[in-house]
Amino acid sequence: MEETGFSLLPFFVWMQESSFSQFMLDTTWSQPIVQLMHLVALSVFAGSVLIVDLRLLGVGVVKTPLAKVADEATPWMVWALVALLITGTPSLMSLAMKQYFSPFFWWKMQLLVLGLIFTFTIRRRLTQTDESKLGPVWPKVAGMFSISLWCGVAIGARLIGLFS
Amino acid sequence: MLRALFETVEAFPSSVAIRESLNGYPILLTSHVIGMCVFAGLVMMMDFRLAGFGNRSTSITDVQSRLFPWQMVGLVISAISGLLLVYGQPMRFFPNFYFWTKNLLILLAGINIWYFHTKTYQTVEEWNTDPTPPFAARLAGIVSIVLWASIVMVGRMIAYPGLVPQWWLDLGLEG
Repeated sequence: MEETGFSLLPFFVWMQESSFSQFMLDTTWSQPIVQLMHLVALSVFAGSVLIVDLRLLGVGVVKTPLAKVADEATPWMVWALVALLITGTPSLMSLAMKQYFSPFFWWKMQLLVLGLIFTFTIRRRLTQTDESKLGPVWPKVAGMFSISLWCGVAIGARLIGLFS
Repeated sequence: MLRALFETVEAFPSSVAIRESLNGYPILLTSHVIGMCVFAGLVMMMDFRLAGFGNRSTSITDVQSRLFPWQMVGLVISAISGLLLVYGQPMRFFPNFYFWTKNLLILLAGINIWYFHTKTYQTVEEWNTDPTPPFAARLAGIVSIVLWASIVMVGRMIAYPGLVPQWWLDLGLEG
């Protein structure tokens, strides 16, 4: 980022110095509460993603049509994602400098962007397509790719807190 | 007695090895989170079906039997990593309020599963495809969601050993 002359550092400094971050750091319970809700949202998100990915891999609830499984999981996935963003933002703001200088934060964010794009374009499309036209290979590739991407996000996320 | 057990384990060379390993803690903690995602995530997908909140096009026996093996994969990953985390630092966990609360909640979740499978689930054929299952099944689903969400949250709170009721600190378990 520095090489192109564009830096997000001022933005991260602004987040860190905001009165909201100060409030987060000054109140004993605010950080844990936000983390707890983030983890519960993560569990729901993971479940709603996995039930579709397992179905894509041909090992999940195979008697239900793929599009149905995806239709029913998507609202939970989207709402869990909203909850993850809402609870993730205060965490990011109050620890902005730590996040900025953690390689795992950038690892997480890059995979997250990739995961979101993939999920709402290719994967969404795939789950809406008539299964007989998909063949045996692509759904499995998509399922494996999705699981790997989101595991990568979770691993990166966990490591931010451990190395600073 | 329990304290003596935890102290004995802490002195084991294998416990010391985990404690002093450079990558042991990050690897175990990360595995625990991945295991949690798979286990808690898929258990809640099954609970949503039972509670009538989601996955309503799939029959209950299908959700249960097709997700079960993967729930077990998640359980094995989180249980092994969790046990090793405790094994590596027993005396960090022994005085921890949230550690014991988490164990208690896991026990309650186990009782809920046992009760559901020995009683409510026996008549599943009668309501297998109902989008909204009968009250007893919905209740089991909701109780399970509440318990597992609490277990996830209480687990995270283990990292805040000081944010606990004063009476717990007064027990003087820190030693």
